Amino acid sequence: MLWETVIGLEVHVQLKTRSKMFCGCATSYGETPNTNVCPVCLGLPGALPVPNAEAIRLGVRGALAIGCSVHPTSIFARKNYFYPDLPKGYQISQFDKPLATGGALLVDSPERGAVSLSITRLHLEEDAGKSLHDRIPGMTAIDLNRAGTPLAEIVSGPDMRSPGEARAYLVTLRQLLIYAGVSECSMEQGSLRVDANLSVRRPGAPLGTKTEVKNMNSFANVERALESERLRQIALLESGGQVTQVTLTFNATTGEVKPLRSKEDSHDYRYFPDPDLPPLVLDAAWLEAQRATLPELPAARRARYEAVLALPPYDARVLTQEPVVADYFEAVVVAGVEAKTAANWVLGEVMTGFNDTGQFAVAPVRLAELARLVADGTLSLPAAKKIFGELIVHDDAPAEIAQRLGLVQVRDESALARWVDDVVAAYPDEVARFRGGEGKLVGFFVGQVMKKSQGKADPKAIQPILMQRLDR
Amino acid sequence: MSDAALLARDTGRRLADADARGLNATLHWSQELLDREAARLDAAPVGPLTGLAVALKDNIVTTDQPTTCASKILEGYVSPYDATVVTRLRSAGALIACKANLDEFAMGSSTENSAYGRVKHPIDPDRVPGGSSGGSAALVAAGVTAAALGSETGGSVRQPAAFCGVVGVKPSYGRVSRFGLVAFGSSLDCISVFGRTVADASRTLCAIGGHDPRDATTRAGAPSMRPMPRSDLRGLVVGLPREYFPTDLHPGVRAACDATITLLRELGAEVREVALPHSAFAVPTYYIINPAEAAANLARFDGVRFGPRQIGQDGDIRALYQATRGAGFGAEVRRRILVGTFVLSAGYADQYYSRAQAVRRLIGDDFTQVFASGVDLLFTPTTPTPAFKAGEKTADPVQMYLADIFVAPASLAGLPAMSLPIGRDGGLPIGGQLIARDFDESTMLAAASVLESSLDALQEVR
Amino acid sequence: MIIGAAEVRHVARLAELAVAETDVPTLATQLEAIVAFVAQLNDVEVPPGAGAIVVGPDRLTLREDRVDPIPMSRTPAEMAPAFRDGFFVVPKLGGLAEG
Repeated sequence: MLWETVIGLEVHVQLKTRSKMFCGCATSYGETPNTNVCPVCLGLPGALPVPNAEAIRLGVRGALAIGCSVHPTSIFARKNYFYPDLPKGYQISQFDKPLATGGALLVDSPERGAVSLSITRLHLEEDAGKSLHDRIPGMTAIDLNRAGTPLAEIVSGPDMRSPGEARAYLVTLRQLLIYAGVSECSMEQGSLRVDANLSVRRPGAPLGTKTEVKNMNSFANVERALESERLRQIALLESGGQVTQVTLTFNATTGEVKPLRSKEDSHDYRYFPDPDLPPLVLDAAWLEAQRATLPELPAARRARYEAVLALPPYDARVLTQEPVVADYFEAVVVAGVEAKTAANWVLGEVMTGFNDTGQFAVAPVRLAELARLVADGTLSLPAAKKIFGELIVHDDAPAEIAQRLGLVQVRDESALARWVDDVVAAYPDEVARFRGGEGKLVGFFVGQVMKKSQGKADPKAIQPILMQRLDR
Repeated sequence: MSDAALLARDTGRRLADADARGLNATLHWSQELLDREAARLDAAPVGPLTGLAVALKDNIVTTDQPTTCASKILEGYVSPYDATVVTRLRSAGALIACKANLDEFAMGSSTENSAYGRVKHPIDPDRVPGGSSGGSAALVAAGVTAAALGSETGGSVRQPAAFCGVVGVKPSYGRVSRFGLVAFGSSLDCISVFGRTVADASRTLCAIGGHDPRDATTRAGAPSMRPMPRSDLRGLVVGLPREYFPTDLHPGVRAACDATITLLRELGAEVREVALPHSAFAVPTYYIINPAEAAANLARFDGVRFGPRQIGQDGDIRALYQATRGAGFGAEVRRRILVGTFVLSAGYADQYYSRAQAVRRLIGDDFTQVFASGVDLLFTPTTPTPAFKAGEKTADPVQMYLADIFVAPASLAGLPAMSLPIGRDGGLPIGGQLIARDFDESTMLAAASVLESSLDALQEVR
Repeated sequence: MIIGAAEVRHVARLAELAVAETDVPTLATQLEAIVAFVAQLNDVEVPPGAGAIVVGPDRLTLREDRVDPIPMSRTPAEMAPAFRDGFFVVPKLGGLAEG
């Protein structure tokens, strides 16, 4: 290996609260600009911040879910800089005494297999508003609806060694934060945002000069942007050049990174403790209660599916990727469906619908009724899948749908015998070959009978009748 | 005519007289608003402040009058919400009289830094009323209103109270909501009161105090501020911190203090000398912490969301910021912003800001130790001299800062403190300061009341 | 000498404050005097581990997560120096360009 890549990520997630971090304005997405605002989030003279208890609670749960130590005392600080969508001229954040530090994620690296990636810190802060540059010609339009939305910033160690690994880290982090109920984690809606630091070096050498990459709007683009920046740095170094510390922005259309205009002043945020906010002190008992009430996290859930429900590792992994899917699966099992059967349904029909719409159209109990009809032989599996499609549109009892569509399996011997006789009469050559010793032709005959019955014949019941007729 | 209507009419007449005298103590008032206040009071039940007209320092926001902080950067600004103290004054039955002049953004000790002209001392127009709440102090001293709200950051009520010969009370930090007070030094800012008497100041303070869910730095469940009536000072230990009585203290101030110390003893207090060694560093500590907080607090005045705007030469956002702020802030505000930015900037923060935080702690620890040793109250001069002449200290910022040398320590320690008139020198009032334990306004106000009536009796004898 | 003309300009830029070139020397002198005055704190003996003072409550009281905005008697449009189509309007970012 000629070059080693070193990547660290800073991830911002919006916390799932009803109101903003420091005021009672609603957190919202896509509303009329500058309507969810008040003196506090507008930064009007005389207004003061009062922190939202739920934002603190969610920050703590997120920190616990990613293995961080939550500090009994943390301090809010002012981060000073001017920007038109930052109303107060400072952002309330946390600096030298953050909420939590020292976590780790077990990540499935595409190159290295299972690796533990460190998390340096998780701190709480408020979001800025939005600056829109294309809204009014020649001007910048400012919408402060988002200003003051609670955020957790999660900073990783410089532990990732490839763009693919960075993506795997993000997948795992997102999964955990969704599990812990902390954030929607939607990059599309901006509730999860990623900034990356990347440098390259010869293996064993000290860290190289890093650059910062911004403006990546999907996990796939994070991987693409970092790959592009990795190659840019290597090419630069190999041609005898040097990497300079810059901030780059990713263009998803061209797949390239390009430097943002460099600033005349380097960042000097002049952090100091916010005198409007006394120390955030968390009781040990309360912290323990948060830890105790964390939902089962994906690794534990996966292990349980394998050990207790005897699911294959693949099924267990895919089912636990999103907590809502796992919850649905478990509801189907609780409704009485054997685990592997339930897994097959969820990984098949259910996931297809869920991936398209983001919703579960069929209630777990309905699916369980349907699965029972297959188990007791009332329905064939293809017929059941057809009924599943109906259930998405009409929430009726599966048995009734089966009757209405005439999909109940026919096990009546006289009816089956009629279809078998028709098939035997229609294929004399095949019958002769079978009788001459080509036993594998039995599958062909069963198939023809099924076709004849329009899928309604019970295949298990066909075989004895078929054998009886063919043996003649 | 109702009592409230009479009060509104009399207050209007007195405000007009004060304007005619050229005190320049108000930034906004109108008879129409006074009459509207009276109509509101007529419909309201009687409260603890019924019959009291109160002036507001113009850094306390109101929806029915402009709030300018005596700065051009807020010219014409009307707040969309009322400060908590305004709501509380109204529900206690007070009549809001006017918005009072101040040093721009409360930065100053003479009220010479107002963008709308300096306030004159009610007794000697060539002198300053003190600051930064000079307008409020002058209005009470001139008998325009019986009480006024000011704000303290490093003595901005006690110092002008001493200069003008009225009572000025700063409560403990966290006692009165800052919601709606335009922030200056947030870890120091306390809305404070002026009264012609200790009683007027006390009842006004009691009406505005208490926990406010909109200010996370107010304390819930604090003991009452209400003074328990007493006839003498027996059982109280009064400390005299030797650092507050330097050899070069103004002779008139010294004489008034000596007389008051004698009186304290006569009234039964046990008087003993104590030491507060780190108080000597209060002013330099204050002039690091305060500008640092002020620089951040004033960043929101950027011409984007409210207030006037100047379009800069380059036409981009930074030009707008720099032009708006450059034109909107006066000289002292600009100096503080620059100093505050400097002491927090990379490479200097440890040497200045962190150091000042540590020394602030030591200043506070001194007080804690003295009060733990059995001292109930501290007595000191409020100011090193009586009111000085206008223009005397404007050229030298550091000399101006030193006018607050005896008042800054209690601000840094967050302790309740007050000034009350203890005598005169050449016709100019002299103030004496009482400092109490954290959240023990009650003892301080009770003792001040005893002292006030004894001093009044002495005055009459003379 | 701690504060010269260069520091005044640097700090003014951080604070987004226009300072006329003709004012720089006076400001440098005044700031130097103030900084020299406050620098006397370096003579104070500070015991190691002396934490910062906390005035007011020693811990935060939190707000319940309820939508309950503080009412405003004037709208952003009525307060803003420039407002169009529901937005506060400012010039292009120029020297501040970046996300």
